Amino acid sequence: MEMLRMTGISKAFFGVTVLDNVDFCVEQGEVHALLGENGAGKSTLMNILAGVYTRDQGSIAFEGKTLEHVTVQSSEQAGIAFVHQELNLFNDLRVYENIFLRKERLTRLHTLDKKRMIAETAQLFESLGVDIDPTAMVSELETSKKQLLEIAKALHANAKLLILDEPTTALNNKEIDHLFSIVRRLRDDGKSFIFISHKMTEIFQIADRYTVLRNGKMIQTGRIADITPTEVTKLMVGESYSDADIYAARDLGEPILEMENLSGQGFENVSLSIRRGEVVGFTGLKGAGVSELMQTIFGVLPVSGGTLRVEGQTLEKNSIHRAMRNKIAMIAANRKENSILPDFTLLENNYVSEHTLSSKRPLIHKKQEKRRYARLHDLLGIKSNSDSDLITSLSGGNQQKVILARWLNTEADILLMDNPTQGIDVGAKAEIYKLILALAREGKTILVNTLEIPELQKVADRCVVFYHGHVQSVFEHSQISEENVMLSATNAINAVEGASIQ
Amino acid sequence: MTTQAHKGKRSLTKTLGNYSFILIFAFILIAYLIINAGATTLNGVMNILRHSAVVGIMAFGMGLVIITGGIDLSVGSMLSLIGGLGVVAFNASNSVILTFLTVVLVGCVLGFFNGILIGKVKMPPFIVTLATMLIYRSVAQYYLRTLRLSIYNMDATLSAFDSFYDFGQYKVFGVIPMAGVIMILVTVIMVFVSTCTKYGKSVYAVGSNEKAARLAGINVEWTHVSVYTITGALCGISGFMWLAMNGSVDPATIGQSNEMYAIAAVVIGGISMSGGKGKLLGVLFGAMSYTIIDKIISSLGLDALINDTIKGSILLLAVFVQIAIPAIRSKFQRVKPAGSAG
Repeated sequence: MEMLRMTGISKAFFGVTVLDNVDFCVEQGEVHALLGENGAGKSTLMNILAGVYTRDQGSIAFEGKTLEHVTVQSSEQAGIAFVHQELNLFNDLRVYENIFLRKERLTRLHTLDKKRMIAETAQLFESLGVDIDPTAMVSELETSKKQLLEIAKALHANAKLLILDEPTTALNNKEIDHLFSIVRRLRDDGKSFIFISHKMTEIFQIADRYTVLRNGKMIQTGRIADITPTEVTKLMVGESYSDADIYAARDLGEPILEMENLSGQGFENVSLSIRRGEVVGFTGLKGAGVSELMQTIFGVLPVSGGTLRVEGQTLEKNSIHRAMRNKIAMIAANRKENSILPDFTLLENNYVSEHTLSSKRPLIHKKQEKRRYARLHDLLGIKSNSDSDLITSLSGGNQQKVILARWLNTEADILLMDNPTQGIDVGAKAEIYKLILALAREGKTILVNTLEIPELQKVADRCVVFYHGHVQSVFEHSQISEENVMLSATNAINAVEGASIQ
Repeated sequence: MTTQAHKGKRSLTKTLGNYSFILIFAFILIAYLIINAGATTLNGVMNILRHSAVVGIMAFGMGLVIITGGIDLSVGSMLSLIGGLGVVAFNASNSVILTFLTVVLVGCVLGFFNGILIGKVKMPPFIVTLATMLIYRSVAQYYLRTLRLSIYNMDATLSAFDSFYDFGQYKVFGVIPMAGVIMILVTVIMVFVSTCTKYGKSVYAVGSNEKAARLAGINVEWTHVSVYTITGALCGISGFMWLAMNGSVDPATIGQSNEMYAIAAVVIGGISMSGGKGKLLGVLFGAMSYTIIDKIISSLGLDALINDTIKGSILLLAVFVQIAIPAIRSKFQRVKPAGSAG
C-alpha cells in the first residue's frame, strides 16, 4: 500500500531551482533510501514534506489524503516525523520530560503526574527494545541512545513515517546494528522510513527501495535488490564535468611531513609521507577523522600513538605554538567560529599569528606591518577598501583570503586547509584553488580537506580517502575521480565484495 | 561606492560613538564649573586628578580584564589587603622603596592567584573574584585583629615617614598633584601597551574570539593570567598612592565599592563588557567623571546619600549613548562597503 506520494514537486530559492518536478513515493512498511550528493535537493525535499519549506509546485498525498498547506504542526499531526542530524532534544531535561514535552500528563490537581509519565516511557522503551533509564538526564546519554530516544519520541507522537537524516554518522557498528534491528522491527509493524545516508554499506543493509536525486531532479527509483553500489554511485555523480584544467605536474621535493602509525582522537594508524611542494587532498565523510588529523598535526589535539615528523624531526610533545615554530599553519574549518577576530581590522587579523612567533620583539611597527599586508593583499587579490576596515565587512571569500594571508605572513611551509571553500561562492572557490597551485609551485606543501572531489581533481597531486579514521585508499592525480573517491569514502567497495562493514 | 561626503559623515558619527567618554566628561566638567561658578580654583580642578587616582589606576587593570571578556570584583579588597601589608612593611623597614616593592609584589601575587584559577583552571571570573573579594578583605581585617589594632597606622616617628607623606602631598610645578601625575603616567603606559604592543593586541584578540585567538597561536591561558596579575600590580600602585596620601588604612572601609566604580569607569570609557572592543584611554575620563560628580554634590550641598543615584544615572546614560549611537548610525546607513559583493 502506498503511504506517501509526492508528485511534480518544484522549489526555487531566489530564482535558483533546487527541486525540479520531482516525484517521490514511499510504500507502507518499507525503508526507502533517499540518495544524492550534497546539494542534490534531498534535504529541501524532506523539509517540504515536514512543512519547513512550502513547495512552489506539485502535490503531496499522505495515506490517500491530499495535504494542501503543509506546516510543521500539520505534518506532525498527519504522522510524519523528521529525526534531524543534529538532534532536537533538550539536554537539560530528563528523558521522560523530553518525550512528554507539551503533552505532559497531569494529576487531578493539575500538577505533573511524573509517576505516570515515567511508567509510560518505560513501557514505550520496553516495546521498542531500547535500554534507557526514563529518569536519566538527556545530556548524560550517549549519542546512539539520543538517536533512539528521538525515534521513540516520534513514535510516541504516533508517527507513521519517520525521516532519518544520516542517523549513523555518530554511531559505532554495534550501535548501528541495534538501530537497524529496531528499524526492521518497526518496518515489519507497518511503519515506513525514509533513510538518508552517504554510506553504501548501510543502504544496502537496511533499505528496501531507493530514489536517487541529482541537481534537483529525480534520476531513478527502484528496488535495492536490483542494483549495485557502483551503479548507485554512478547515478548520484552523473557525468561529472570539470572545466578548464589548471593542474600541471610539478617536481616534488624531499619528504617534509611524515606520519608513522599516527593515532589520535578519531583516527588510527595513519601512515603517510608528504613531499615538499605537494598538494594532497584529504577526503572522507563526516566522522572519518580528517579534520581531527589536521588538528592533531597542528597541535590542537593530542597525539595518542605513532610518530609525526616534520623535515625529519620528530615532534615529541605537540602544541599549536610548536607546530607554528615548525612552520605548520592551519586554516581551520568554520571560519566564523575558528578564524575570524570580528573586532579586528584586516591588518590586525593579518598580523596576529606572526606576532606570536616574534613576541621577543614586543612592539608593533605599523608601517612595516602595512607593507607586509599590502604585499599579501596584492598576491591574493583581496578586494577591500582599506586595511583598517573590519574583517566582518568583507565577503566570505575575501575573509578566507585574509585568513590565508595571516598564515602566509608566518612564512609557514606546510599549510593545512580544513574545508577552505566552506561558505564561499563558486568564483571565489576557483580563485582559492588557483592560489593553492600557485603556492605549491613556490614550494609550499598543502593539505586540503574537502569533500568537493571535482576541485581535488583540479589541484591535488594525490588524494587520500579516509573511512572511519583509517586511510581507505590513496589515489594518484590521474586516478582521482568522483566515482573512485565516493566508492572508497562510503566503503561501497567492501559492500560490493560482501565483506562485513568495518 | 561610498562618496567622499558620506564617508566623512560616517567617520564623524563613528568618532562620536568611539569617543563618547570625552563628551560625557566635558558635559560633567562644564556642569561642575557652572554650578561652582564663583568658587572654582585651579587647585580645585587639579584635585580632580588627585581624587581620581586610586580608582583610576586600578580601573586600567579592570579595563584590560574586561577587554578579555572577564571581570575582577576583587580590586577593592585587594586594595585593603595590599594597603594593610604596605603599612606593616613600612613600619618594619622604614623604607619607601621596600614598601613600594612590597605592595606591588603583593598585588601581583593576589592578582596571579585570581588569574591562575580563571586562566588555567578555567573557573568563571565572576565567581573567582567574588570569592577572593570576600577572602582578601577578610584576611586584611583578621590580620589586623591579631596585631591588636583597629587601624593600620604608619609610624610617624620613623625617619622615612615625612618623605613618604610629603611625596603623597607633593605638587609638580606647585599645581599638579603627585597622585594625578602617577595616574597619567599609568595612562600613558597602559594606552601604549594596549595599542602599540603585540601583547596588547593579543588581549583584544582573546576577548574578540577566544577560540580563533587560540588557533591563531595566541597563548590564551597565559593572557588571562597576565591581565589579572597586571590588575593586581596596579592595585599595588593604587595602594601605594593611598598610603602616601593618607598614612593609614582602615581595612574595613578602604576601597569599599571600588570594584563597582572601576567597572563604571571602564564602561563609561567605552569598553564593551562583552570584550574585544574599546580604548583604555577612556578609562581615565571615566574615572575622572565620577570624581567630578562627587564634587558637584558637595558644592551643591546635597545629601551625600544621593551620590550613587547620580552616578548610577550617569552610567545608564553613558551606556545608552554607546548603544544608541551605533544603532541610529546603522539605521541610516544602508550602503554596503565595496568588497562585500565578491
